[in-house]
Amino acid sequence: MLAEIPTMAIDLVQIEDNSTVLADEFIAHRLGMLPLNAEGVENLFYSRDCDCDEYCDRCSVILSLHAKCTGDENMHVSARDLVPSGERISQTLGNPIISDPDGLGPLILKLRPGQEIKLKCIAKKGIAKEHAKWAPSAAIGFEYDPHNKLHHLDLWYEQDAKKEWPPSEYADWEEPPQEGEPFDYDAVPNRFYFNVETAGALPPDAIITEGIKVLQIKLAQMVKDLSEGDGDGNGAYDGPRSPEFGGGGADGWGGGQDPGFTTPYGNGGNQSAWGGAGAGGGTTPYGTTPYGGAGGSSW
Amino acid sequence: MNAPDRFELFLLQDGEKKITEKIFTGLSNTSDFILLKEDHTLGNLIAEHLKQAPHVLLAAYKIAHPNVPEVMIRVQTDGTITPRDALRQTCQTLVQMYFALGREFQKEFALRQFADQGDQGGAGNAGGQGGPY
Repeated sequence: MLAEIPTMAIDLVQIEDNSTVLADEFIAHRLGMLPLNAEGVENLFYSRDCDCDEYCDRCSVILSLHAKCTGDENMHVSARDLVPSGERISQTLGNPIISDPDGLGPLILKLRPGQEIKLKCIAKKGIAKEHAKWAPSAAIGFEYDPHNKLHHLDLWYEQDAKKEWPPSEYADWEEPPQEGEPFDYDAVPNRFYFNVETAGALPPDAIITEGIKVLQIKLAQMVKDLSEGDGDGNGAYDGPRSPEFGGGGADGWGGGQDPGFTTPYGNGGNQSAWGGAGAGGGTTPYGTTPYGGAGGSSW
Repeated sequence: MNAPDRFELFLLQDGEKKITEKIFTGLSNTSDFILLKEDHTLGNLIAEHLKQAPHVLLAAYKIAHPNVPEVMIRVQTDGTITPRDALRQTCQTLVQMYFALGREFQKEFALRQFADQGDQGGAGNAGGQGGPY
């Protein structure tokens, strides 16, 4: 899920003046790759959801760059030279990430004496499914079972696999296999070691938390969509169950197992999923026709 | 230009529904669910958890073409609950599991940071573990 966490990246570039040796689109592409600070990006709209025509302060951050080489030496233009402007949601959102010791940030281009570059960048919110420049993480890896107890790996060796393969850095975190221990056929991996590396847009722990959140939103949306379908035949009847997951686990259908419960809507046509399972509600037990033959169930 | 919009991969177009259920007539108590604009992330996750859910006899997913962001999940239940309910329950359980995981992660992460501040340079011992997994 670490491909769907929203971050910031430069998406539009308006070039006013470019007398460098690099083509406009080449520079624009380089600018897009720059990591930008994405903390607080949840307060920003997606440009496509925003009311504005093209971009505005609520869905973008504007960075401008103006550099001219006036000296005799070649001049380096780096991410530090991008100046954020306009009203911003927070003072850090959309700032280029600068993590090198000199405080320059990534090098964008070089200018020969007399060359000039002037442009305006519009950084937008997006996810890495649209373009990889929005990826929050630089690298993510995971491993499990450092001692290969599950035999998911078949280690190649010349004389002795144990001597030739270096132990994983997580090897001390788990019990090494005992000598002559029988192989457990039923064992499944149940402990995973994740390695999350970022380019600085979000701290690694925020990426984990955000990733979990994105997944939860997806699943909750599914629960909602699945629950909505039930109400179709009954019009306004929404049921006492909250459509969200907050209602606490199983109560969505649990009501149906209450033998005393008969749904007053049952005869009208479509019985709701939980009413139908009750002894009184449906005409058909779920066993044979799964969808309760009673009346044109919409699903 | 006829290039498709870049967000067509993950945004529902007008009039598209996230989930459609199609009853599969080849097996009893079986439904196919078509999830639009989703990928292996959700397909694999849900299918694997459905397999562990009670009353579920069969759960599988496929993505017919890698260029087409559609997931099909087929669920067969033993008849006690509908496939739709099985899917919903699984999603609810998953949301709660992720909730627990997220909470546990934040707790352990804060503890870890606290511990690291306590003894700078102390060799990290197996303290940062936790979570339901």
